[in-house]
Amino acid sequence: MNERMKLLHNYSAEQFATWELHLYLDTHPADKNALRLHRKHSARAAELKEEYESKFGPLTPASGEGCDWLNDPWPWEKGV
Amino acid sequence: MWTYEKKLQYPVNIKNPNPAYAKIIMDQYGGPDGELGASMRYLSQRYTMPCGELKGLLTDIGTEELGHFEMIGAMIYQLTRNLSCEDIKKNGFDAYFVTHTDGVYAAAASGTPWTASYIQTKADPIADLHENLAAEQKARVTYDNILRLIDDPDVLDPIRFLREREIVHYQRFGEGMRVLTDTLDSKNYYIYNPSFDRNMRK
Repeated sequence: MNERMKLLHNYSAEQFATWELHLYLDTHPADKNALRLHRKHSARAAELKEEYESKFGPLTPASGEGCDWLNDPWPWEKGV
Repeated sequence: MWTYEKKLQYPVNIKNPNPAYAKIIMDQYGGPDGELGASMRYLSQRYTMPCGELKGLLTDIGTEELGHFEMIGAMIYQLTRNLSCEDIKKNGFDAYFVTHTDGVYAAAASGTPWTASYIQTKADPIADLHENLAAEQKARVTYDNILRLIDDPDVLDPIRFLREREIVHYQRFGEGMRVLTDTLDSKNYYIYNPSFDRNMRK
């Protein structure tokens, strides 16, 4: 696994943990422990997203500068 | 609105193309219990849900299903790269190929195109949530069947991830049903539409 894939893997893991807790909170909005975990993983995911984007280009249309968005690889291409 | 993120929810890296496998997993792209139908079902039903928990749940699961639709699309794409005419004929991909070449099209494994008749919006939250619980189980069964027919670990890994998501969504919909029935009259909540007849909506 190269550095780009490793960083994307770590970001995806934190993003997934955040999302799973978010779905759980939809039906358990008063669960303080889940809320605390959500904050923790969400903050870590934001850091990793920023690090990834500074090294390998935008993940969302709003975070890129002009034509960076158009660079390969796209998600359906291998190694993304 | 939605914002696109240029990554998959879970990685798809398939080394060996296999059009026979592409045909099988296509069922979860445009089949009756597939990811496209799941997403459209939840995103359409959410408007008439009576409380925040259910509006949030349907918005969120409907959004995640779009990400799953993209993962299955990526798998079909990678399984159909660099095919020779012999590969296409040998693997029973010729009928699909003649219509769509090697493009990714929303159809069932049998070739039937996706249709909105796979889904329903009833605007009765009990009826709609029961449909969704059934949909998650039917999708889980389809993934179980796919796992029986495929032996490439590059394909099995993301399919196992998607199967697990059906189980988590089933769990969350069950809790959503509990949130709803907790707010209703326990003696008669199956005999009227709680959202339309009792004006629970905001």
